[in-house]
Amino acid sequence: MFNYSALVQAVIEGNHIKSVELVNEALKDGASPQNIVGSGLQAGMRIVGDKFSAGDFFVPEMLLAARAVSRAMEVLQPHISAADMPTLGRVVIGTVFGDIHDTGKNIVTMFLRGAGFEVFDLGINIPTDSFVGAVKEYNPDILGMSALITTTMHTMSDVIKALEAAELRSKVKVIVGGAPVTQHFAAHIGADGYGADGGSAIKLCRNLVGK
Amino acid sequence: MAMTEKQRILAAARRQPVDKLPVGARIDVWYNYHAGHDTLPEKYKGWSIPDILRDQGAGIQLRHGTIWRTEYRDTEVAIHEDPPFTTTEYRTPKGTVRMKTMFTPQEGPWVPYEVELPFKSVDDYPAIEHLLENTVLVPYLDEYLRKVEMVGEDGLVLVTVSYSPMQEIMRTIMGYERFFFELNDHPSKVEHLYELMKEVVRQKLNILAESPVEIPEVCGNWSDDIHTPVFRKYFVPWFQEAVEFLHSKGKLAHAHIDGEMKRLIPMFLETEIDVAEAWSPAPMTSVTTAELRKAWGDKVTIWGGVPAMLFEPQYSDEEFDDYVKNLLREIAPGYNFILGMGDNLAFDGKIERVGRMAELADKYGRLPIKI
Repeated sequence: MFNYSALVQAVIEGNHIKSVELVNEALKDGASPQNIVGSGLQAGMRIVGDKFSAGDFFVPEMLLAARAVSRAMEVLQPHISAADMPTLGRVVIGTVFGDIHDTGKNIVTMFLRGAGFEVFDLGINIPTDSFVGAVKEYNPDILGMSALITTTMHTMSDVIKALEAAELRSKVKVIVGGAPVTQHFAAHIGADGYGADGGSAIKLCRNLVGK
Repeated sequence: MAMTEKQRILAAARRQPVDKLPVGARIDVWYNYHAGHDTLPEKYKGWSIPDILRDQGAGIQLRHGTIWRTEYRDTEVAIHEDPPFTTTEYRTPKGTVRMKTMFTPQEGPWVPYEVELPFKSVDDYPAIEHLLENTVLVPYLDEYLRKVEMVGEDGLVLVTVSYSPMQEIMRTIMGYERFFFELNDHPSKVEHLYELMKEVVRQKLNILAESPVEIPEVCGNWSDDIHTPVFRKYFVPWFQEAVEFLHSKGKLAHAHIDGEMKRLIPMFLETEIDVAEAWSPAPMTSVTTAELRKAWGDKVTIWGGVPAMLFEPQYSDEEFDDYVKNLLREIAPGYNFILGMGDNLAFDGKIERVGRMAELADKYGRLPIKI
């Protein structure tokens, strides 16, 4: 049976060359892609996320770990159908209308993908209707919205109202983040959660999908 | 004779005695947004930022970008305008790199936002090295001097160096994600760029040293979860060099600390930077002003202290007043502090609260503060 500890370690160290090498080795050993993802990649990313939350890791370590997972997933993809790909849940994410900042959103997207979520990144400057359309199309567990400026953060409230009007609100959890956004603001607009950074976004999403 | 607001700000920055707490308020995000949408309050239509702040009774902090123009030797610069986008191609003998910015009046500060940065892959190192090696900065002070005249003795015009060398690479050449991958994968190439960028920033410091700018900004826009791992190695030594140079020319230095600072606070003391401007305490970040004062003592002058969100309608006037009064208690006796907002008045901020802040500083800010 393949020993996953080296793969877990490669993810923690953010070593994408090693993670790809070990995934190839695991496949050669007959390990199932599902086990490689669950016992190797996601297990490693969970430790990385915990270290970030504890303040021992910073954004660079998280980015490198997420890349190690992402490169390994590219190797696994031909060996597994989309339906069988182990995932913690499906997330649609985007920066709200009028706002073109994407650094925070991109970091959260990388972290979530690394942690094992399937993420549909809509990009920046996303109109309210497009968020609603993406929720209809992708049927996500979670909708994430980002805003960097106070001029645009209020648009998050419009999206939540539009989801209610489209009778989709009960089908998706809504999370918000970005520099001017606070827990207080998230509660005020009726979001289900707020993440101050990429690490807390992972925890929040895990909690929301019960994993 | 009472000190002017400019004298108070400069004295506080130099850690010298002042008669009352200086105020340096910044409202350009609010102003630019409303001027651009023709939604300034009726009374203020056609007014300038300094005049609005004077009307509110507040000291002025006016920002100015740079006091130089950038030219490139042995490089063709092609600019293509396709509003709201501007694409700039730098055609060098070592290759071509391209950057794209987007300019939208939705953005209060009206700063072009980089949607495409010049560094895309390892192949771009030679062209970017060429650009840095051939960057020539030419002093251009007209616009700055015009702003100085507008502000007069009622505040200060702050000028930026833009960023420290590694922050410049992180923010304007590569972007954070690509930067950290490159630093991991090709550290010697990144460090070579760092050395070249230092030379460019030294040119900026030389221009500043010969200018009337009193307290140049040497860097800013940090977040401790991103910057802590690289701050001691690439930021602290640079600041020590830059600040020593500026001090030798009779200048002070300030940094724009508008982000999460918790894990950077101890290292900041090693930088020798004189003024930490745009201080944005809890609830906007995780650190209170009392905690920052305890950590820094009288070694750094703090500018800011009232979070931007407190100016917004979701907070009542009473909550605003309570916050400012509590802040004054936290900073008592009040030396080495310049009251302002962290870091700007947002588009939906209440301009009247700038006046309230100034009133409270008048009422309780006689030094030493006893409240």
